[in-house]
Amino acid sequence: MYYICRMNTEFVQNWFSQVKKGTLSYIILNILNEKEYYGYELVQEIKAHTTIDVAEGTLYPLLNRLKTDGIVESKWVEQESGIPRKYYTLTTSGKATLNEMKKMWSALGNAINKIEK
Amino acid sequence: MKRIIFTSTTAQKIYDDYFARVNRCIGILAANDQQEVLMELNSHIYEATHTVHPDNEIEILVDVLEKLGAPEVVLQPVVAQKKVRQATRSFNPKHVLQALYLNIFNGVGYFIFAIIYLFILCFGFLAIVKMIAPRHTGLFIGGEHLFAMGYFTHRPSGSFELLGDWFIATVILLMGIFYYFNTLLLRLLKR
Repeated sequence: MYYICRMNTEFVQNWFSQVKKGTLSYIILNILNEKEYYGYELVQEIKAHTTIDVAEGTLYPLLNRLKTDGIVESKWVEQESGIPRKYYTLTTSGKATLNEMKKMWSALGNAINKIEK
Repeated sequence: MKRIIFTSTTAQKIYDDYFARVNRCIGILAANDQQEVLMELNSHIYEATHTVHPDNEIEILVDVLEKLGAPEVVLQPVVAQKKVRQATRSFNPKHVLQALYLNIFNGVGYFIFAIIYLFILCFGFLAIVKMIAPRHTGLFIGGEHLFAMGYFTHRPSGSFELLGDWFIATVILLMGIFYYFNTLLLRLLKR
């Protein structure tokens, strides 16, 4: 008798969706740690660095939340087109938060690597 | 906000319709918050479409708007967050009630806030009713088990009103205390 072991696609997709949701703020903070970005540019940067297909509409509420929490700050910069860009950058508190997140991420990665062996 | 002008009239209509929907969703917010949301979305759409060849304008615009998502869904958390901020700044009852309406399902904290706010309104109502019907409103005590505060059309027999003219001062004091705790709670929820 043969048993075909099939992957539970729905479970994996749900799990990955949760992982994406949980790591998006970490990805954003890492990108903003390099330099300031405006919203659309940030989306492109996330796409360039990851395989994550960002739901662009969810990015702005998240940035708004990070701003409320004092992790990022923003400023409007006028453009020749007359349509200004809103640039986001990490605050001092944001940089400290990111450093702490990096430590946690590293510890988690090490733990998972050990378990996987 | 400066509108983006498209070459194609269809693209222009799609863009205008999208912003009409956005405006309907954010109408509840303060003028500066509305402006902030409009400018941010407009900037995103402009950056995504301004280098596009006119022949592809509609296709790209539809794609961008699709990725941004339906304003009614995507803007809901933004509107709820900004409304709470406006409510904690002004503590205007209208804004507080709107913030409550938008956040009532966002956690037990807002539910508690709503209950306390209801108490504040009830105390205010009782202070007014006390002036209109002083014999039927107050803190009533009687018998072994009666301890009730409020308005009674038929006072329970054997009961007496404890506070008299001090009732109004007491409910106003309670309103102040509840209001203070609610302010603290809302600031805590805003974090």
